[in-house]
Amino acid sequence: MKIVVAIKQVPERDAPVRIDAAGRWIEEADLQWALNESDAYALEEALQLKEQHGGEVIVLSAGPERVGSTIREALAKGADRAIHVDCDDLGQRDALAVARLLSAAIQPDSPDLVLTGLQSDDLGYGQTGVILAELLGLPHASLILHVEKSGSGITVKRELEEGWFQNIELPLPAALTIQSGGAKLRYATLMGIKRAKTKEIRRLTAAELGIAAQASITLDRIALPQKQKTTQILTGTAQETAAALVEKLKFEVRAL
Amino acid sequence: MMVLMPFTLAEPAAFPVLERIVFAGLAIASGALFWRRFGPILHRILQSRKDADFRLAPFGRRMWEFVSQVLCQSKVIRQRPLPGLAHAFVFWGFCAFALVTLNHCAVGLGVGFLSPDGFFGRFYFYFAAVFALACALGILGLFIRRFFVRPRWLGAKLSWESGFIAFLIFFLMVTYLAAFFVPGGSPAIAALWWLHTLTLLVFLPIIPHTKHLHLVLSPATVFLSRGSFSRIPPLAGDEDFGLVAGADLTRLVSLQAYSCVECGRCTEHCPAANTGKTLNPKEIILGLRSYLNEFGPASAEPLLGKHNPPIAPFQCTSCGSCEFQCPVGIEHLPILVGLRRGAVNTGAWEDDHGAKLFLTLERGSNALGLQTSERDKFIQKQQFPIFDGTQEYCLWLGCMGGYDPKGREIVADFASVMRYLGTSFGVLHKEKCTGDPVRRLGNDLLFQQLAEANLEALTQNKVKKIVTICPHCVRTIQEDWKEYGTPPEVEHHSEFMARHLSQLPKPSQQESIAYHDPCYLGRYRNVYAEPRAVVEHAGQLVEAERHGERSFCCGAGGGLAFLGEETGERVSHVRARELVATGAKTIGTACPFCNSMFRDALAASGGNAPQLLDIAQLTARSLPQQDAPSAS
Ligand code: SF4
Ligand code: SF4
Repeated sequence: MKIVVAIKQVPERDAPVRIDAAGRWIEEADLQWALNESDAYALEEALQLKEQHGGEVIVLSAGPERVGSTIREALAKGADRAIHVDCDDLGQRDALAVARLLSAAIQPDSPDLVLTGLQSDDLGYGQTGVILAELLGLPHASLILHVEKSGSGITVKRELEEGWFQNIELPLPAALTIQSGGAKLRYATLMGIKRAKTKEIRRLTAAELGIAAQASITLDRIALPQKQKTTQILTGTAQETAAALVEKLKFEVRAL
Repeated sequence: MMVLMPFTLAEPAAFPVLERIVFAGLAIASGALFWRRFGPILHRILQSRKDADFRLAPFGRRMWEFVSQVLCQSKVIRQRPLPGLAHAFVFWGFCAFALVTLNHCAVGLGVGFLSPDGFFGRFYFYFAAVFALACALGILGLFIRRFFVRPRWLGAKLSWESGFIAFLIFFLMVTYLAAFFVPGGSPAIAALWWLHTLTLLVFLPIIPHTKHLHLVLSPATVFLSRGSFSRIPPLAGDEDFGLVAGADLTRLVSLQAYSCVECGRCTEHCPAANTGKTLNPKEIILGLRSYLNEFGPASAEPLLGKHNPPIAPFQCTSCGSCEFQCPVGIEHLPILVGLRRGAVNTGAWEDDHGAKLFLTLERGSNALGLQTSERDKFIQKQQFPIFDGTQEYCLWLGCMGGYDPKGREIVADFASVMRYLGTSFGVLHKEKCTGDPVRRLGNDLLFQQLAEANLEALTQNKVKKIVTICPHCVRTIQEDWKEYGTPPEVEHHSEFMARHLSQLPKPSQQESIAYHDPCYLGRYRNVYAEPRAVVEHAGQLVEAERHGERSFCCGAGGGLAFLGEETGERVSHVRARELVATGAKTIGTACPFCNSMFRDALAASGGNAPQLLDIAQLTARSLPQQDAPSAS
C-alpha cells in the first residue's frame, strides 16, 4: 500500500506564545516546534499498515525551512521518503489554499491512502484533510481511530459522541483524518535518526506546483485569550451541590 | 641408630630416564588439554570488537587496583571477611607455591634448582609450607561453607566440580606438606612427588572448563577494567547502537564474561534479584558467556533472547551494588545499560510506560510530563531569583524539585538554608530533565538532545557552579554530560550543607534519624560522610542494617520510577521495612526519588510510620522562622 501522510509542524504545546510586533502573527523566533499531535497518530497508523501489509509511507509537509526537523523526525520513525512543500506564507492561506498545495504535491504519487491528523493544534481549522480528500476526488472519513485492511478496501473505526463508535468500509484509494489516541505512538530511536539521513526529502515550491503565492486570507489582528478566573460557590444540600457540580463539569468545563 | 633428621622437605634425587619421559609426556598432554579449551576462549575474547574508548592511562590507577584487588585481595576480604580471608590464603598459597611448583616440575626433568640443602631453598620450602598450611585450611573452610553452610547466593545446586577442585587443591597441599615428614631415602618420596605431580596435571586442564578460569583471567580483568564506576562508554560510530548482537560485544565485555567466578556477590546484593524479578546480575554475565560459547563474538544473533531474557536488563535499578561488589572487576552497569541501549536505540524494546516517558521527554521538558508553566508558578511563588550570572550558585531544580510536590518542599527548604547562610543563588528560567532516566534506559538519541539543550542553556547563562537536591542530576550532569560538552561544577546539597554546618543552628532535642544512602550519592559519588554530618547536626544518627557502600536501593533508579508496577515484591517496601526496623523516629533521605518511593511505601505499610524528611528539611527545621512562602 502506498500511503501519504500529511503532517504539520506546530509550536510545542508548552511553548510560551507571544504576538509579534505587527500584531498579525506570533513571534516565531525562539519558539520550539513539534509534530502536530493527531498527525503523529496518522503517521503511526500508516506505519502500522505498512508493517502489516508492506508498501511505502511518504510524509508530506508544507512550511518554511524549520519544518525539516519535523520531517526528519517522521522519517526517523519509519517513513520511507518525504516531500517538503517549501513556503513561508502558510498564515496567509486558509484551509482550502493549503489543501490545494498539498493535493498538487500528492497527485503525481497517486497513493492508495492519504492520512492527515484531524486538526492542527495551532490553528485548529479541522478542514484541511477533508478538503484535501475532496480536491483529490477520494472517498473520505473523519475522526478515525483505527484503520484495517479488508479485502480490496479498508474498514475504519470512527469515533462518535459519548463513547459510541462507527465502523465504516471504504474502497481504496481513500483519504482519512485521524483522531488522536487510537494507537500507541512509537518513540524516536537513534537507529531511526541515523537511517533517516539517507532517505529522500524532495523539496517543492508553490510555484513549482503551479500554485500562485497569493494570499487567500489576510489576518487583521490576533490576540491571546483573556485569562479569567471566576470562583463560584455552590450552595444547597450535599446532593444538590454535587448534582450542580457534575452539571458544570460536564457542560461548562467539559471535563466529564 | 638414632639419626637426627634435619626436618625439611624430602625431594626425590634423580629420576630414571623412563620416568622423565613419562612425566614430560604427561605434562605436554595436560598443557595441550588446557590449551584446547583455553585457546578458543582467548580467541573469542580477542575476536570481539575493540573497546574504542580504551586507554591504558592512567597506568598508576591500574597498578594500584591490581595490587589492592588482586595481590592484597582487598575486595574479596572486605565484602565477605571470613570466606574472603580463606580465599586470600588460597590465593597467597598459590602465589608462594609458584616457585615451588616450577622447581617441582624441574626436578622431574632432572634440572631442579631449589635444594633443601641450600640456604635459599631451605628457607623457601619452609616459607611455602606456611602458606601451604594456610591454603589447605582455607580451602577446607571454603569447602565446608559451600557444601554444608550453603549460602543461598551460591545457588541451590551443589557444584561437584567445585568440590573436586577443592579436593585437588587440598591434596596438592597435603602431598607437599607430607614430604616434610618422610625420612630421606624412603620410596615414599618419589611416590609423593608423583601424587603431587599428577594432581597438578589433572588440575591444569580443568581450569578453563570451570569457573576456576578466573585464576587465569581475573588478574587481567581487574587490571584492564574501565576503572570509573558505571562508566557508560560512548557509542563508537554510526553503526553502534549498544549491545544488540554478538558483534557488539567488546573485548572488555567478553573478557569479563569469561572471568566471572560465580561467587554470587552481585546477586546477593541485587534489589531486583532479591524481590522476585527475573533479573539476576550473575546470570546476565553467565548468559553472555553461554552466548559467546554458542554463537561467538561475530554473530548477528540478538544478545537478548536465548541466553538472556529480554525483560531482565529492564528490571535493573542501576543501583550498582553488583559492580561495586564484584571481586574480579566485572562492570555490570555498562553491560546492563549496553543491553538496554541495544534494545532501545533500535526500537526493539516495547513498553507502554517506557514509550510514554520517551514521548513525554521528546516533546516536553520534564519526566513527570507536566506543563513548564507549573514550574514557573512554583518559582514565582517561592520568589526564587532567576539566575543571571551574578549569583554564586545556580540552584538546579530537576524534575522532582520543579514539579513533584514533595520535591518542591525539599527545594524550598534547601533554598531557605541558602538564604539563611546568605549564599546567593538563582534558578534557570528554562530547565530540561538532565536525561538521567533516559540515559539509564539506554535512549541515546533523547539523552543527547536533553544534554545538549541543557548545556547550551547553562553556557548561555554563564553558570559556573550548580547545586541540587538530586543525586541523579548531580551524576548525570557531572559525568554523563561530558560526552556532549563541558558541564559546570556541580555538587549535591549534602556537600554544600556539610560545609556550612558550623553556621547553622542546631535543634535543642536530639531525635533519632535513620539515614538512607542513595545509590547515586554513595556508590556513584562516594559521598557518605557529608549527609551523615548533616543528619548528626539535626539529630542522632541511626544506621540501618545495610548502609554506606552496602546500602540497599529504594527501587527508583535506572528509570524504573517511571516504568509502572514491579513484578514480585516492591524494592521500596523491603528497604522501608529495614529503615523502620531501626526504630528511629525519622527517616532521613538525600534524594527526592528515594523520598518519593518511601513516601508510598510507608503509606502502604500503615501503622505509625516514622516521619520522612530530606536532610534539607531536617536542617531547615532549626532555622529561625522566616515568612518563607509555603512550598507547593
Ligand atoms: S545495578 Fe543493582 S539492580 Fe541492577 S543488576 Fe546490579 S545490583 Fe541488580
Ligand atoms: S559477576 Fe562478579 S560478583 Fe557476580 S558472580 Fe560473577 S564474579 Fe561474582
